[in-house]
Amino acid sequence: MTLSDSELIRYSRQLVMPEWSGAAQERLRSASAMVIGAGALGCPAATYLAAAGVGRIGVVDDDEIELSNLHRQPLHLTPDLGARKADNAAVKLAFLNPEVVVEPFPARLEEMNAEALLAGADVVVDCSDSFATRYLVNDTCCALGVPLVEAGVLGLSGLVMSIRPGESACYRCTFPTEPEAGSVPSCREAGVLGAIGGIVGSFQALEAIKLLTGVGEPLLDAILQLDGATSAPMVIATRRREDCPACGGSAEPSVGAAVEEAV
Amino acid sequence: MSAASGGPAAALEPRELDLRGVPCPLNWVRTRLTLESMPAGAQLVVRLDPGEPLESVPRSAREDGHEVALADECVRIVAR
Repeated sequence: MTLSDSELIRYSRQLVMPEWSGAAQERLRSASAMVIGAGALGCPAATYLAAAGVGRIGVVDDDEIELSNLHRQPLHLTPDLGARKADNAAVKLAFLNPEVVVEPFPARLEEMNAEALLAGADVVVDCSDSFATRYLVNDTCCALGVPLVEAGVLGLSGLVMSIRPGESACYRCTFPTEPEAGSVPSCREAGVLGAIGGIVGSFQALEAIKLLTGVGEPLLDAILQLDGATSAPMVIATRRREDCPACGGSAEPSVGAAVEEAV
Repeated sequence: MSAASGGPAAALEPRELDLRGVPCPLNWVRTRLTLESMPAGAQLVVRLDPGEPLESVPRSAREDGHEVALADECVRIVAR
């Protein structure tokens, strides 16, 4: 057993879970996760990935911390105003768990750097706040064959889905029509309550941990939709599309909308 | 320990783990990870403090599907 004494103590409350094992812990330690965005979703997602012992975590974000971010981005504290989110997240995560390596990437994920940033990751956790980035992350992960956890929050509600490219429906299979730029309000334009980001971002960490360890069942071919106003969770089935330009589709032709029920 | 380590006799010889002074749940973490590294049927003798450790660790081992026997202040566990 190669886990150190301090690791055994640090992770003891997950190591005693019946579903967990030393092998699961070691799989996490040898894994690399890329978190795209260090905001409302990225802060909780990266926090729980680091705390659980994911060995290498990359945090991609080119923004600086603003006062209006603090209500929903709990890695960023008032004295951190003005710092780069990626750098600050890396500092805070290193305080939380010095056993893991956190690499800040203070850059914007774009077409020209997406493949370089995401290649080699064992899982990508998309915590970005724009549809353009989300489709780009999805398409890049599909091209690279890297498992992905997609999510979004707006107002009091959010959604999460896990994707194993080539095996389960990707984001583009599920939402084939990319919204036109500016047609959908982003978090900047529409409000969001911090706590829903905490829930959905934490769920992303849970999904990433399931994908990395094989413990539990990831949300594949399904979207979890959470309505924070009514506390009503809903799991919506989705499926791969034969004609999906991102993931190549399945052997079985799909008919009509991939999402069985309107979101 | 026996000089015949690695031979068939070594496989039958129980492995020992002294966890006196190690509190819950860390004693179970160590027991569990040791069992995980052992082949099915191999035996592990764990020494534990009386009280919560001696009550809790054997129960956890049973719940994990291992065969457990108590003797004095130690627990004999057969890896599943």
